[in-house]
Parts: sequence; C-alpha cells; structure tokens
Amino acid sequence: MRRLESTPARYDRGIALLSGGRIGSVYERIAELAADRNVDVLDIGCGTGGVSIACAKRGATVVGIDRDAGMLEVAASKSSSIEWLELDSTEIEDRFDPECFDAIVSCLVFSEMSPQVQDYTLSIALSRLRPGGRLVIADEVEPEDAGQRVLYRLRRAPMVAATWLLTQTTTRPIRDLRKPLLDLGFGEVDSERPWPSFQIVTAIKPS
Amino acid sequence: MSSLFDTVLRILPHRAPTGLTAIGNPDRSSPVLLTGNYTLTVQRIKEALDGLDAWLLVADSNGINVWCASGGGHLTHHDVISAIRTSGVQDKVDHRRLILPQLCATGVERSRVEDATGWTALWGPASAEDIPAFLERGEHTARQERSVRFPLRDRLEMAAMWIGPLVPILWLVLWPITGAGASAIDAAAVMLIVLILYMLFPWLPLRVLRGIPVYAALALGGFGIGTGLLGLAGLLHGSTLFWLGAACVVGTAIASIDVAGSTPLLASSVNPSDFEVELILDRCTGTAECVLVCPREVLLMDGHARKVRMAKPGNCILCAACIVQCPTDALRFRFDDGHVVEPDVIRHTRMNLLGKRKTAAL
Repeated sequence: MRRLESTPARYDRGIALLSGGRIGSVYERIAELAADRNVDVLDIGCGTGGVSIACAKRGATVVGIDRDAGMLEVAASKSSSIEWLELDSTEIEDRFDPECFDAIVSCLVFSEMSPQVQDYTLSIALSRLRPGGRLVIADEVEPEDAGQRVLYRLRRAPMVAATWLLTQTTTRPIRDLRKPLLDLGFGEVDSERPWPSFQIVTAIKPS
Repeated sequence: MSSLFDTVLRILPHRAPTGLTAIGNPDRSSPVLLTGNYTLTVQRIKEALDGLDAWLLVADSNGINVWCASGGGHLTHHDVISAIRTSGVQDKVDHRRLILPQLCATGVERSRVEDATGWTALWGPASAEDIPAFLERGEHTARQERSVRFPLRDRLEMAAMWIGPLVPILWLVLWPITGAGASAIDAAAVMLIVLILYMLFPWLPLRVLRGIPVYAALALGGFGIGTGLLGLAGLLHGSTLFWLGAACVVGTAIASIDVAGSTPLLASSVNPSDFEVELILDRCTGTAECVLVCPREVLLMDGHARKVRMAKPGNCILCAACIVQCPTDALRFRFDDGHVVEPDVIRHTRMNLLGKRKTAAL
C-alpha cells in the first residue's frame, strides 16, 4: 500500500475502497483479539492509526510505530492518547526492552517486507512479548481453495498492473505464517479468514 | 535484453533483490557499499566495481533509483538500518564502515544510521563510476566527485525512458486515423523532439519563462521535419498535417512535464519555486557535512573562518541534502514571503508537499 502512503491524507479512503469497505471490521477484529483494558499493545506499521485506535477504544495502552512521518501526522490528528513513534520494525529493539508488551499487532504491513525483514520482525516480536502475550498479524494471502486461487490471481492481475502504473510498486500476498511462527517458538497458533484472500493469524508466546 | 527493457520502461520501478551481494571475492576487511534496489543502479555499480572485491548492500528503495527514492522518502535511514540488521553483513565483515551513495543524502540521515547501528557511515561519490578512485584514495571523495554530472549516456537513457512508452502509444493511437505511414512519421517526429531535448539539455535555457520558448521551438522543429517527411512520402495533405501538429504539441507537452524530475540539474517542478536555502552562520560550526553532500558545489568550506559559505547559490537545485544532514541545524528553507521551513520538518517529510508545509507546525 505504498502508493497510498505517499499521500497519507488519502490513505484511509483508498484502503477502504480497495478492501471493499471491509477494512474497518478487520481493525475491530484485530482489536478484539489483542486488546483489553490495561493491556500494553504495540502496533507495527500503524499507518494512519486504524488498528491502534480500535485497540485504544477497548482500554489498551497503545504505542503505534511507523516509518512514515506523513502517516503518523494523520494518525496523531485522530488521537492524542496514543504514543506515535517514527520507527521501523527493525528498530523496535532500540526503543523497547524485552517482554514489555501484552500484545503486538500488525495489519497490511508484512506484505511490504522482504522475507528477511519479516523473519527479523517476527523474532523481535517474540522477544518483546511478555509470556502468554499474543501476536496478531493480518494481511493479504492467496486463497486456500484451488479454484478461488485461480480467480484471485485473475482478478489481481489487472489490479497489479494498475497499481504498478499508478503507484510505483506492488504488494504481494504473504506466505502462510502459521508454520514459521511455530518454528520460531510461538506456542499456540490460530488463524481465521474474514474473506478467502485475507488472513488474521494469532500466535501466543508460551508462558 | 533485460537492461534494455528496464531502460525503456524506467519510468516504472524495477526491483532488484535486497540484501548482501558479493562483488569479486570479498573478505572480512572488504569495503561495504550501500545502494537501493533499482535494477539499473545495481547493475551499474557492479560494472563500475568490475575487478574489485567488495560487498554491495542493497537496501529496499521500492525499486526506485537512489536519488528519486531518497527525495521521495522511499530510501531513508530506516531502510539502511534495516538492511544492516537483516542482511547478515555484520557476520561477514570485521569492520563497521558503510559507504553511502552521496545522492541518498536527501533521505538517509547519516547520524541516525550511526546511532542505531554503531557503524561508521561515510559519504561516497555521486556517480558509481568514481567508486574505484574513491576506494583507491582511502575512502575520501574529491570535490569533482561530489558534483552530479549528466553526461550524454545518462541523457540518452532519460530520452529512452520517455520515448519507450510515448512513441509506440502515439503511433498506435494515430494509426487508425492517418494510416500506417503518416502515423509512423508523427511518431518519428515526436521521437526526434525528445531526443533533441535531452541531447541539447545542458545548453537549453530551460529556466527562462519555465522553458516555454524552448518547448515551442522544439515542437515547431519536429513539426517542420515531420512535414518534410510527409512530403517526401507523398502523404502531405490537410488532415495528416493537422495530426502531425497535434502529435508534436502533445508529445512535447508530455516530455516537458517532468524534465526537472528526469534530470539532476534542475529544481523539482512539483514544489513552489519562491524559496531558497538559508545559511545561518551563527549556528555553523564548520563540520562541512553539507559540503560533502551538496551535488552542485553550492556550499564550500571557508578554511579561514572555519565555517561554510554559499559559494554558488545560483547552482542550487533545492534538494535539501545539506539541510537534512547539518548536525547544528544551520541551514533551512526561506520563502520569499518570509516563511521558513525548519530542518526537522524537512527531515520528517522530505520534499513532499513542501509548499503546504511552509506554515505547518510539526
């Protein structure tokens, strides 16, 4: 979603359009899975703050980090009770001690990372979670059903071309993170798909 | 073949793989050079380093070249820090010295890279071709290596970038209207206009009246040559002449839209033009960081005063590299109406929407 990011003020409208109006319910669902009263939440790649604000509404203490100051500017205009920091996912260690969050969330960010950065971010997330803490990652994935996968690719092809022309970039669906998360040392890993090409993965750090 | 494809379609991003690449047979003491993941850049650095042993650390610049990515906020210190930490370079070398391309200075804050990683970051030369001499000299840039050049080869590349999509599209659009022969001549006339624009670029007075006289002359010239060709081909009549004129006007207009963005010698035309870089001498402590990153030799060190001076303000292309890097905030933008944009705002937003930011409290 880099193109949308280059014009942060347009991000919210653009992402709502691209998700067919479903992104709001995704933010809510992530907050439901991760946030509760008096819980410390880190939102990686918070963008204009959709997930962070949904978590804060449930009573959580939220820190939103993003590498794009323009996005944070928009986020800060929506909520002043959340701490917004200009930080990349590979810089979390510079700012936060191990085991200082109850939940770490990330929505539509992993699809913009290289596999090396994804792996690095996952292991830092594991180290920054308290025992029993949960990681919730929501992103685009390929549908599991073979027929739907073909349809998804067909539908995506013109989108990719248009995004490329307009936006100077592409985002790719991410791999299924369930196995990498288990390999890394997360205990329980669960997943759900609000629609076939979108996955919300929840992983719990062993107590 | 793939580089031809990349050159003709360079208006689109072309992503090279990110991470660490070995050039030659590097060892634990070989230099580490950083670049962005734009295919042509990576390829050109590899060519420039042919015969040397070095590590090339390719950071994620979204498939955009170093200069454009840095100015647009796509290649920043966040990407450099991320590349150092995730590429495995720290296990490959014993030293902690990273050579940054000078042209990333509008986006990559050198001090932030050093603070976060413990690496020493050095400014390399502006052009990849100068890297061997830079290394030979003990990793110091000479003055002429800090000045950005725009040689014929680069100018032809930029011409190809515009010709690549523009000419075939014009040809295909006009074919059904004027026929294969006349539409080919229309397309050829536009190709000529773009070629001449970039070949003669250093000598064209493009700062006069926003370049309008130059563009008008180019369109007229293309129209004249096209008319001659139509005559020679026996295709000269009212309707073919009309469409030739239309093609020349549209082609010149499209090619002129982003001449500043396609060349490193003009200030961006996206931002307003009523501002300049202001040097606050009281704050200058003479670190000369700005001198090392200025691609136009605007700023030079005054050895006696131990301060920087504006040697050639007329050369300035308002890229803000000096403002971003100055450790004492001694440089900023001042608009003609008195507004100033402080370094912190520039560091956060790069050059995006600069006009809107002149009053922004960030």
